[in-house]
Amino acid sequence: MDYFSEGLTQAVALLLALDPETFSAVWTTAIVTALALIASLVMGLPLGFALGHFRFPGRRGARLFVDWMLSLPTVVIGLIVYALLTSRGPLGEWGLLFSVPGMAFGLTLLGLPIVVSMTATAVESTDTRLTQTLLSLGADRWQLLLATLIEARFAMALAAATAFGRIVSEIGIAMMVGGNIKWHTRTITTAIALETGKGEFATGIALGIVLMLVALVVNLLVGLLRGRSNGTGGVSGGGGA
Amino acid sequence: MSAPLYHLRGLEVGYGEASALIVPELSIARGSILGLVGHNGSGKSTLLKLLGFLLAPRAGELFFDGRLVDAAALRAGHVLRRRAVLLGQDTCLLKRSVAANVAYGLRLRGQPYTQEAAPQEILAGALGLVGLDFAEFGARSWRELSGGEARRVALAARLVLQPEALLLDEPTTGLDRASVGHVQQAVLAARETRGATLVIASHDVDWLKSCADQVLLMDEGRITGVL
Repeated sequence: MDYFSEGLTQAVALLLALDPETFSAVWTTAIVTALALIASLVMGLPLGFALGHFRFPGRRGARLFVDWMLSLPTVVIGLIVYALLTSRGPLGEWGLLFSVPGMAFGLTLLGLPIVVSMTATAVESTDTRLTQTLLSLGADRWQLLLATLIEARFAMALAAATAFGRIVSEIGIAMMVGGNIKWHTRTITTAIALETGKGEFATGIALGIVLMLVALVVNLLVGLLRGRSNGTGGVSGGGGA
Repeated sequence: MSAPLYHLRGLEVGYGEASALIVPELSIARGSILGLVGHNGSGKSTLLKLLGFLLAPRAGELFFDGRLVDAAALRAGHVLRRRAVLLGQDTCLLKRSVAANVAYGLRLRGQPYTQEAAPQEILAGALGLVGLDFAEFGARSWRELSGGEARRVALAARLVLQPEALLLDEPTTGLDRASVGHVQQAVLAARETRGATLVIASHDVDWLKSCADQVLLMDEGRITGVL
């Protein structure tokens, strides 16, 4: 127990002293997560909306593919991205392996299916009654699209928060594609794994505290958004009318 | 006598192979009230959705205001739906305030009524028709309404549009006695003051017989009699 409390004390001291190595990992994590999340949202929100709203040939297959991507182990995604980015791979000439953009690319493959799937589900669940309501009030095609998007806003924000939570806490892709290079591609999760392996519990715990705080904020946000998105479709108490 | 607002001829609506509605001939006069009664699943809601241009017929002809509603007309269906407004059973409120919900259809029509800028008297008038006080309910969120209040707000959101045809599917179901009175008065006022054509599906046969020009009995997707 002393061992643990000693590590915790040292961890707090590292954080309060703004230890450069610790905050380098935090900063890299922030950059990689921001890039991957932005890419996931820019591509995922329109794709998810299209998947949930439109009826087109191959829609079921597309949905199955997205759900399959959701269940892929991150180590497998890391392996695929590594194979793509390695010098002998099809994207090798881009020189992205062991770089921050390369990690962001890999983590986008993790976040994208989450955003697509949750957005599609949100839009699907708003559609039936909301569509009837909007059409009966005289909405044209574009007004219908826009209004559906707006009504599903909390659910889509929930998708973004969930994707953020997965991306920021991921280790397999970050380790394989980033290479865990000190001052360069070392993230919170890869640093925790490394420092703990070296017996440097204080650094590991310090980084763990940061990650737990992030997780706490994300969970609070998710809880708030989930409450707001309940009753998707704007169905009022008792069934509206 | 003026031309009917609706005329249906040899009309059939189906889901898959089954026919949900078959109407050999039906005319609905402009400014009249048509009542529809029948068991659940008798085709009342399907007929209302058809008249509200939310469904396309599988066969037959539907005329609105003397014009054939064909596939091309249904592709620009919002033009028709702005003239014939449906309050369906599966209608819901938007995640907005009561005032914003009532003003929403006006905004869709390009009228510059937002929650802030809407002339209060227009929204207050519509809410007043269904027995809701604007000062008390206008700023309330959709979450804070009971089922009956939400239904009345949804009706107000359609009355404010002053459509040529108002199609109501069970407008009084689930309401308390006082609310039923407000809704019935509001519906009748739409015809008296604006000459709207009303088609009302309801299980309240006595009410329909007292106010409608004609009450049709429906069963298994067909009109089986006149009450």
